[in-house]
Amino acid sequence: MPGSTGPFHAAVTGIGMVTAAGIGTQASWNLIRDPEGTAASEVPALEGNPAHIGCWIPGYDADKAIGRRKAWRYDRSSQLALTAAAEAVADSGLDPGEWDGTRVAVVLGSGIGGAGTWEKQHNVLLGDGPLNVSPLLIPMLAVNMSAGYVAMDHGARGPNFVTATACASGTTAIGMARELLRQGVCDVVITGGTEACLIPSIISGFSQMGALSKRQDTPRAASRPFDVDRDGFVPAEGAAVLVLERAADARARGARVYANLSGYGASADAHHATAPDPSGAGAELALRACLDDAGLAPDAVDHVNAHGTSTPLNDAAEAKLIRRVLGRRPAVTSIKGVVGHSLGAAGAIEAAVTALTVGEGVIPPTANLESQDPEIELDVVAKTARTAAVEVAVSNSFGFGGQNAVLAFSRA
Amino acid sequence: MSDTYPRLVQLLVKNFGFETDEVTPEDTFSKLELDSLALVELTLTVQQEFGIELSDDDLGADDTLGQAVKVIESKPVVA
Repeated sequence: MPGSTGPFHAAVTGIGMVTAAGIGTQASWNLIRDPEGTAASEVPALEGNPAHIGCWIPGYDADKAIGRRKAWRYDRSSQLALTAAAEAVADSGLDPGEWDGTRVAVVLGSGIGGAGTWEKQHNVLLGDGPLNVSPLLIPMLAVNMSAGYVAMDHGARGPNFVTATACASGTTAIGMARELLRQGVCDVVITGGTEACLIPSIISGFSQMGALSKRQDTPRAASRPFDVDRDGFVPAEGAAVLVLERAADARARGARVYANLSGYGASADAHHATAPDPSGAGAELALRACLDDAGLAPDAVDHVNAHGTSTPLNDAAEAKLIRRVLGRRPAVTSIKGVVGHSLGAAGAIEAAVTALTVGEGVIPPTANLESQDPEIELDVVAKTARTAAVEVAVSNSFGFGGQNAVLAFSRA
Repeated sequence: MSDTYPRLVQLLVKNFGFETDEVTPEDTFSKLELDSLALVELTLTVQQEFGIELSDDDLGADDTLGQAVKVIESKPVVA
């Protein structure tokens, strides 16, 4: 609250992840920490498309993960969210059978929602007519539904919504989740992000913008943040969910705390639909607001989990911003070299990894960083993970529309 | 003997997550936890599978699978 004493710490007490690096937090973390290039391959749904590679999750079996009697009712974006949320809640040690559900909120982020269902049903409409369109189209498509379904799964009857700030959606969600705890309107928040839109229409749209890597024949080398030869991002699907509680509450129940979420800042570029403001002024507002919120000086930041999309424009602008505001001190990494860019889920996956980084004192490397762009004047972690005491880390996310969001994590 | 019932069961297996041995002709749709949206979805798949036309209320929550078989078999094949 404005005027209250000191920064507000939300404890991260549970983590769930479903990414191209692995199903489950430990599997994802293991490959992100010790990468073997980009976890990308040919996406069957994109066969025949000029852009056909992506960081998809071939081993994900929704029937197994959430039950075959329920799975068919959900778009893949909700399926991934439900799986990550179930892992996060179990990991927190909280028991949904015991908790006061009216005090449990759900805040997820998603860029697009159930795009796969929409595309499929649009094809039904064109091919078989309106009377054959599924009655489940709307609940599968609507961008808010992932949070609604997570609430149903866990009896979470507190505030419930989905944030949409494009590629910053997951970050915005987690920032707003912390605000709910700070305001006192709930005691627990299940928060994160989800995305599953590796489908022809959406990927063609990104491809036509020139945003995607052209390394379609060498998927493992395609996402290379901060590398001099980077040429675009690799689209991905995935979900990550955190359980947040007020730090004092977590301490009181003896919960294991990965890290504290201690700051959040947000801003708009007010510049261009898709290109970052080259001056970085908008992103700088968000980063500085986050540091102010956390009560941190710029030189307190040990580590930056960068947005680092592997596009020429983003990485150059972000590097300048980090250099200008935080100097050369922090160790910077982008896990998009491994897991690609999962749009609305990306910020949540990166928040989960940042919390693990702080908790374990291990900074994952930026995969495929073979020759660092000389314009990127930063200490970027390359090749192998770096062991380091990380007291404070920030995670940047920048969305189309010029929507910026930054989280700060500190050691619990 | 008609194959309508096993074909109906196969639709439940293929599209609605059931195992063959989880359903009997005596089960109602509500017992199988198929709500109104699921029944509309089932109506669409039954129409396609059997080449018939069903109205919105031909398959009701309190109907058994056995009753649904009779409804399906009472409809003329149109496609």
